[in-house]
Order: sequence, then C-alpha cells, then structure tokens
Amino acid sequence: MHRRSILQVGGAGLLGLTAPKLMRAEELQTPIKPRAKSVIFLFQWGGPSQLDTFDMKPLAPSTVRSPYRPIASSADGIQVCELLPETAKRMHHCTLIRTMTHNMKNHASAGYYALSGHEPPSDDQRLRDSLDLYPAYGSVVDHLAPNSNGMPTFVAYPHVIRDGSIVPAQHASFLGKKHDPLLVLEDPNDRNFSLPELSLPAGLSVDRMHRRRELQQLVDQQARLLDYAAEARGFDEYYQRAIGMLTSGRVRQAFDLTAEPESVRERYGRTTYGQSCLLARRLVEAGVKFVTVYFSSSIGGRRINDGGWDTHGFDNTRMYKIVDQYQLPITDQTLPTLLDDLEQRGLLEDTLVVWMGEFGRTPEINKNESRDHWPQCYTALLAGGGVKGGYVYGRSDERAKYPAEKPVKPEDLAATLFQILGINPGAEIYDRNHRPLVIGGNPLHEVLA
Amino acid sequence: MHRLLLQTICVTMCLGPVVLAEEVVLAETAVEFSVDVMSILSKSGCNMGTCHGNLNGKGGFKLSLRGQDPYFDYQSLVHAARGRRINLTAPEESLILKKATGAVSHRGGVRMSAASAEYQQLVQWIQQGTQGPSPHAPRVKQLVVSPADAVIPAPLDSAQVLVTAIFENGAKRNVTERACYELSNLKAQVSPSGRVTRSDFGETTLIVRYLDEQVAVPLAFTTGEKITWQEPQAANFIDRHVNAKLRRLMIPPSPICDDSVFIRRVYLDATGRLPTADEAKTFVEDPNTNKRQEAVDRLLATPAFADYWALKFADMLRTEEKVLDVQGVEVFHAWIRENIRRDTPLDQFVRELITGTGSTFEQPAANFYRANRDPATRGETAARLFLGTRLQCAKCHNHPFDRWTQEDYYQWSNLFSQLDYEVGENKRRDRLDKNEFVGDQIVLVAKQDEVRNPTTGKVAIPKFLGGPQLDANSDADRRQALAVWLTDPGNELFVQSQANFIWYQLMGQGLVDPIDDFRMTNPATNPALLEALADHFVESNFSVRKLVRTIMLSRTYQRASEPLPSNASDTTCYSHVQIRRLPAEVLLDMQSDFLGAPAEFVGYPEGIRAVQIPGVQRVRPRDKAPKAGDRFLKTFGKPPRIMACDCERSNETNLQQVLSLLGAGLDERLTQSPRLEELSQGQLSDSQVIEQLYWSALSRSPSTSEFEAAHALLRDPKLSRQAAIQDLAWALLNAKEFVFRR
Repeated sequence: MHRRSILQVGGAGLLGLTAPKLMRAEELQTPIKPRAKSVIFLFQWGGPSQLDTFDMKPLAPSTVRSPYRPIASSADGIQVCELLPETAKRMHHCTLIRTMTHNMKNHASAGYYALSGHEPPSDDQRLRDSLDLYPAYGSVVDHLAPNSNGMPTFVAYPHVIRDGSIVPAQHASFLGKKHDPLLVLEDPNDRNFSLPELSLPAGLSVDRMHRRRELQQLVDQQARLLDYAAEARGFDEYYQRAIGMLTSGRVRQAFDLTAEPESVRERYGRTTYGQSCLLARRLVEAGVKFVTVYFSSSIGGRRINDGGWDTHGFDNTRMYKIVDQYQLPITDQTLPTLLDDLEQRGLLEDTLVVWMGEFGRTPEINKNESRDHWPQCYTALLAGGGVKGGYVYGRSDERAKYPAEKPVKPEDLAATLFQILGINPGAEIYDRNHRPLVIGGNPLHEVLA
Repeated sequence: MHRLLLQTICVTMCLGPVVLAEEVVLAETAVEFSVDVMSILSKSGCNMGTCHGNLNGKGGFKLSLRGQDPYFDYQSLVHAARGRRINLTAPEESLILKKATGAVSHRGGVRMSAASAEYQQLVQWIQQGTQGPSPHAPRVKQLVVSPADAVIPAPLDSAQVLVTAIFENGAKRNVTERACYELSNLKAQVSPSGRVTRSDFGETTLIVRYLDEQVAVPLAFTTGEKITWQEPQAANFIDRHVNAKLRRLMIPPSPICDDSVFIRRVYLDATGRLPTADEAKTFVEDPNTNKRQEAVDRLLATPAFADYWALKFADMLRTEEKVLDVQGVEVFHAWIRENIRRDTPLDQFVRELITGTGSTFEQPAANFYRANRDPATRGETAARLFLGTRLQCAKCHNHPFDRWTQEDYYQWSNLFSQLDYEVGENKRRDRLDKNEFVGDQIVLVAKQDEVRNPTTGKVAIPKFLGGPQLDANSDADRRQALAVWLTDPGNELFVQSQANFIWYQLMGQGLVDPIDDFRMTNPATNPALLEALADHFVESNFSVRKLVRTIMLSRTYQRASEPLPSNASDTTCYSHVQIRRLPAEVLLDMQSDFLGAPAEFVGYPEGIRAVQIPGVQRVRPRDKAPKAGDRFLKTFGKPPRIMACDCERSNETNLQQVLSLLGAGLDERLTQSPRLEELSQGQLSDSQVIEQLYWSALSRSPSTSEFEAAHALLRDPKLSRQAAIQDLAWALLNAKEFVFRR
C-alpha cells in the first residue's frame, strides 16, 4: 500500500545541515560496527526465577534464598545455581544483567515488553494483539537491515506463545506482513521434522512444479502486469525465492536436522527445546540474522515435562519439584551445548545468544513453597558475539528484589541487541499514525566487548 | 530555446505572481521568547517528538512537542535543572548554546553554527536577561505561502517558496528562513530555506510550519513533455474533475479497458466474485453499446453485492466474537447486511449506530458500543469512521499535524460518557480475559462520570469536533444531539469522509489517503472532485449504491491499468487504474468457484462463502483446530477487527502466501476438485477444456501461445490428463491477473 512517509525537515538549516530526519538517515548509513552477525533469542516463557539461577542470594533468610546452593563458575566471582553445573563452566562467555526491571506483572504484557522492548499500554493479563502494538525484534531487524544473502532474516519457532490469548510482538505488526518471521510450528524433536512449507506436496515432482511455474510465467506475459506493476513483480519475486527454497537451497538444508550426527543431536537433548537450539545453530550458520526460540508454548509450571517457568505452586504443585526435574536440567543440557557448538564452529564471536524470560520471581517464597511473578528485578544472560565474557552488569539488592544499581529496562536491552547487530538504536520506525518511534532505549555500552 | 521560454512562462503563470512580502519589521530591539526563541527551537528540530519534544524529554531536558507550550519551554530552558542551561554572565557559555553547536557532546548532534542568525539571536536573548513569553507578544494570525500551489515542468526541477507570517497586530514578516518544512512523500526534497527539488515526477505536498500555524502547499513535478492535449471524453462529473487535473499536469489518461477486464473488475468490486465463463463470454460478445451500464445495474441489485459490501462495513465496526459474542456477531452482521441490501441512507445508518442502545442481541446497532467500551475509544472510533479523523495523537498532546487540541479530544470523548452496560452473567470461557464477553448485555444511557482533561484536571465540556458545545448540565442523551450534528449534510468532514470511503473501495486509493486521515496538512489530491462526490452523495440521499454506480459508470473507473509512457509516474491523478491484490476472502472464494468446491471453515456449515463469514473466529483454536479456509484467510490478511480501521486489512504479499500456494494447501484443493475431475473425465475436447479453464479463471480466451502450451501439456504422454489439467489450473490460479485486480 501507498504509505506516506513524512520527511522531516524541521530545520537545522543553520549550518546548511540537512534536516533531523535526513540526518538520522545519514547516521543510519554511517554504519555502527556490527559486533555480531546473528542473534539467537532463547525466550524463557513463564518467567524463570533469578534467585534459583543466576542471581543466588545465599545470605538471604531462608524465606528468600533458594533451597539450592550456589557454585563457583568459570568466571571469577560469578556464582550460579548448583543445578546448572555445565552452564557454570561456560560463564566466561557470558554477561549477566542482574538488574532487568519493569512493572508488568502479567505474562501477556510482560511478554510483549520482553519481545518488543516497548512498554505495553496497560498491564493486561490478556493484552490483545493489535497493529497498534510494536513488532518483534526480528521484524525490526528485517525492516531496517534485511538479509541480502538469500536466507530469511527472521525465523521463529517452535510455538506461538500464548497465555489465554496470543502474546503480542511475535510478528511484524504495523511494519507489514512482509516482515513477519518465517514461523515454524513443527516440532524439531519430531522424527519426521520438516517444514511443510518447504516440502513439495506429496506426489508432486520437482519437474511438475517447474512446469507449473513455466505455465504461470507464460500466462503472466499476456497481461503484462509484471512489466508495469511493482506489486505484481514483488509477488513474483516471492515465487522465485520460494521455489529456490523448495528445490535446493540453503534454507532447506538448514532445516534438515537429519544432517546432524546422532551424537550432536543427543548432546543438545532429545527435547523440543534442545533440538530447537540445534536448529538455531544451523540457521545462524546458514546466515539467518535473528532466531527466536520459545522455550514452551504455555507458561506451564504445574507439570513436569511440559510448559514454561511459571511455577506458583498452584493446584498443590511445588516449584522445587518441577524446576529441578524439568526446566533447569533442560537448560543445563542445552545452553552449554549450544555455546560449545557455536564456539567449536567459530560462530560464537559472531552470534549473540540471549537467554531471558518476561520477568523474574518473587524473592519471598510463597505458602506453596514456590514463587510468584516479579518484574522489578530479574536476570538476563547474554553470551557470545559482541558482549564481555564473565561479566556482571548491575547489582541487585540483598534479596534480588530491586536493582541496587544500574537498573535496565527492556528497551535498554533491546537497544543493546540492535547496537550489537549494527543497527542504530535511535533509528525510527513509523506506526500507522505516522508517529516516529525510536526502536530502542539506551544501549548498555559497558557490556559490549 | 523557444520551448524553454514557453515553459518558463507556464511556470510563472502556474505559480501566479510571486508576491514579495511587505516587510514591516517588528521591533528588533527585544528578542521575543514566544516568537523568536520558539521558532528557533522548532527550526533547529529541538522540540521534535524524537528529541526533547518526546513525552519523556531526552537527556533530562524536555520541551513541549513542536513548541505547543511556550510557557513550559521557558521553564525548561531557564529555570529547570537549577537554571544550569543558561549562563547570564557569559551567554556564549550557556549549555543550550554549547549543546546546540556541538561544543559539548550532544546526542542530537550539531544543530546550529555560532555564525548563524539563530545563534546570535539566542545570545542576544540571554544578554537581554532571558525574558519569558510576554502576554503582549504578537501572535501569528496567518501564514501566507507563495506560491500556494505549483506545477513545475521539467527541465525545471525545483521551486522556492516564500513564507510570510501575518501577525495579529498587522505586522508582516518574511519567515522563509525560520519556517519548518516537511514533504508528504519522497517525490522531492526540501532545503531548510524552502527550496523544493524534484527526486521523481509526481505530486507531493509541502507542509510549512511556523509557530502554531501550518499551511499545505501541493506541488507537482511534471515531465514537461510537449504533448498535444486531447480532451478525454467525460461520462459524468467525475471525469470532468479528473480530466481537469490531468490537463493541468498535462498527463494523458490511459484508454478505457477492454470488455473482459471491465466485466471482471465490476464483478469483483460489486460482488467479490468472478463472472462465470458463460457470464464473461456473453458479456464480451454482446454487441449492445449500453452493456456496461446494464451490467453495473444488474450486479448492484444482487444479494452478492450486500454480502460483499457488508464485509467492508463489518471490518470497521469491529464485528468480532470475543467482545460481541458469537450471537452478537451474527445479529450485528445480519443487520449491517440488511442495511446494505435495502440501501439504507448512510446518514441514517450512522445515526442508528451513534444512538444505539438496548440489548445487543435484540438491538443490533447497540453492538457498536458493545465493541467500543470507554469514552475515549468511542470518541476515537467515531472520529475515525465518521469524520475520517485520527484523534489518537491529541489524547496526550495537541495534535502535531492537525488542528485538534488535547481539550478537543476530551470534549469530544465526553459526548460518549453517559453510557453504561448491564452485563448480566458474563459466562466468559476465560475468566482472566477481561476483553471477553459471552452472553447478552444491555447498553444504556446512565449518568456516568464526566470525562476530564488530564492536563487541566477539569471536566471537558462536551463539544462536537470543530463544532459547538453542548449544555453540560442537561440530562439529555448527548448522543442524540451528536447524531444530528454529525450526519448533517452540511457537516463537510462527515460527507466527504464517507464519499471518500466508497471512492477508496473502488479506486484503491482515497482522494484523501489514508482515508481516516483528513487534515489540513494532508489535502485531497483533487479537492474539487471530493467536493463534487460529496455533493452528489448528499443529493442522492446518502445512497451507497447510487454513489457506487456513479463511480463505476465514470470513464475514470473504466480506464485500463496499463500506464502510458507519459502517465506511468502518476499515482495521484487517476490517469490509469492502480492494480491491487484481491482481499483474502475474495481470493479464496474465487479459487473455490473455479474448483467447484467450497473452502472449509471451522464452525460454519459447508458451502458458506468466505465473504459471508460474519465475524473473525467463531470457534477458538484451542477448542477446535482451524481448517484450511481459516488458515488461508489469516495468511492473506483478513483483519482481526480489533481496531476500527480499514488499515487492519492487509493486501500485502509475502513469502508465506506464496509458500501456501505452491505447497500442499492449494495442491490438495486441485487434486480434490470435482470441477477439474469432471473436465478430465468428460466429453470435452482439449481445446474446449482449455477455453473453459481460461474463461472461468481469467474471463478471457487463451492467446495463441497459451493455447499451444496448454495443448502440448494435455498431449504429454508422460502425464495423465488429470495431472495436466491440474497443472494448467495451478498456473491460472497463480497468474498475476488472477491474484490482482486490474
């Protein structure tokens, strides 16, 4: 559609300078040095506890501190939970931001905040997904710095996450459908995992598909739409790309997990999340710029072997009988494997791995011996491309209840991701009311390597 | 030489005499904050939304957005931060100047040089003791931009505007260097001193802003090609206005489209359907010279017209199950459709929506308020749908591109504050979802809290947008008065926005575009035509059908989409028809008709057409998996109807759509098509089969090369006849002329 972009020439003619917007466009062209080529965003839906993972408070009272002990890690002065022994050995690759903070207590609004870097209009438990809301990070990347290597810029899988209703910021929103992620809802842990979209229909040979395409091209020559209508040409280019993806191509190969040795697949763990992380490595290796892996489709927390990190202890469950058997072991198998694999392939310095949830959990252990939602202070883990290893940013108070220094809002973390990818965090996108909207807050320069 | 001279003369004539501003210089001694300093802040871009004009300011320094509030800005500059931004003893050392010149680090970059007049004036202002806004400061009464509009033919490639501010005290000042300039698109660039230079041929609008005043200047860069103008024929007033503009810009229109394109176009626009092979063929072969008009009249009387146009209104009225309940959606949709069928005058239809009350299951119009549940949302929705106006910006601050103030916003909202709901037992399936309502509810007028302006804290006296105030103390239902005021034929915004909506549906681009963005700084591309359309709409008693008919009978509507070399760059004058991807529902129904098998949707009986679906999602995906038809609609952009805005519908194309057309989804439909099966088993010859497929899919005969290719395919011994027919059908369903309306 024809969308007006307002060119701002507010002034600044005083030096013969160009207008602010134009100048900003120039700033964007003066590239920020990318510190990583790709991001793997491992979204821990449900909200992991900071106190039981990366911000242990062993000196806090027993009503607060984790039943687990902290252990030393490969990074000086950084301790992590004893149930993450393998992760501990890779902390020299990681930056921990222990002062993530915001005020959204509900999964939907906090999830939206975490996935978009923009504060939601209200703390709504069923925040409705609409085109007024911001796009996913990957869609912004596809809008401002799309791939030109034939690979999709943004791939997301293996779920659409929801809590009663679909969580916003999993797609391109007002940036337009063409910036939506390549969304994969098949289970990478499934024996027959493949993309239906990337497979020819059963019984249709490649030859036949080419013949169909040739016939289509012949018909298209008659009406000449391709000669004079850019929209039609744009549509036709998608056929070109799609057929490339179907018939040969790096995309198809990248999704082919059977190309991995059994030992590698085992190392990642035969879980949906484990195989998803393996797939993420294959995708960035093939040149995908932004990969979002959702830990689970639901907030979970009531069953072992299923769901996310939302362990309140409802329905007579107990947090410490779930996370120790499910979320933490999976994490400790997968994350270190991913980091090792990336490192061994020389990809780690070009790939930023982000591990975080939408919020943390209450310092005070509740009457169900579990923890509830706590957005005021939680931890995000960054590893690899562009960030310092063995580094802690910010300090939480003695109960990990509030940031004691250097609080970080989700928009600042967003700015940091964009900065690392070489995208100016001050870049603007326009919503449907022509409002110029800055994509990020203030990047955390101190975490950059 | 001669040609150049001619063009120069033309420009001068088009521009009109360039009036040099009479310079009555204001007292130069004292720098006036609200005129001089404020205009510098704007010119330097300091107070833009992305800089210090941001809601939260920038770097601890906040200015009012685009200089709306001189008093606030004065406080910020002079007193806030303990006055550290100003240095009275050494004015040049003032932080604001050092930041602006880049002498100290400034995230916003260098905004002015120390040699500039602006810098000097700021220094002077500080030297004079940083006087604040004076109540006696001259106020700008009017901004005069010369030329007021212009056509600039190549080889000329730029135009300079002259901006004169006329103050209330009669003083005039040339503010060309101090005004701010913006362009509506990328067809040109504008320099800080008001010179607009062509980047591409076509039209652009220059918006000139100085203090509180804004003026829009339409500019057209034309190729300047020497053509002998041949006045195009006109079927009605639409053509006369379009032709007048084309002539002014010397853009020749494309010819009228051929019959097969026409019949397809009117079927799709009127009914969202394709003509059958027989219908198309009969029309094309009919020698009757009046056949186009007859076809239009016939189609507008069909039930399919009501189906298809109800969809457009249902989109914008948020006909959606989560809020309205499945039953509410059915009731509301049926009512909308019935009104279209009866051709209820649109003003009456809107009055019923605005004044709707009662049980939402029994009084369909009440669903308008069931969907829009608070005064602010109701106000925004009513403004957007019925006045073509976006008010959202004014919720937090005065609208930066329009005349609406924050007070206007809340006064308008307060017209909608008397409503309440009797929800009864809400059997929502998700008890945590406060957006979900199951079961009936009653919309009633009850005394509610008055809306207050959050900035002043005072009750916003109910007031029509750009109209008179209401008596706030009256107990009368404010919506009754509103409905009368809103739909008055003299309410230009109402009549024009509604006529523009219908124009947009048929032409693909509003005369004001986007259609919900009427404002002074976004003028109509053809104001005379918009006025004439609006008048016509009033004269025909707000009949949607009559307006559709008038547009369809114009030669403008009937032009070919293929541009001429001399009009290819035109996107605003309707010299040729813009092609566009067909809506999700239409595309799916076209496939179904062609294949002879309906698509399936969860929760609906077999056979329902996609355009007839009243809502969005009758059955939640968690209760029952969506079917192929549902998935197709989502992929191709059926709107979720959460916003009352046509913009929610996406007619974009993307990779996922193509993957679904190449993949199993469409392939299954092809292999299971009874229609294709019949053709492959039946008695028809190859040639007849080919003819039949082409006419049903594309409303035309195959060309010789297409015919030969299809024949070769059908005769291919390595391929079954069935498979060959499927392949041909696939190619036709994926042809651009199938997917796009041209």
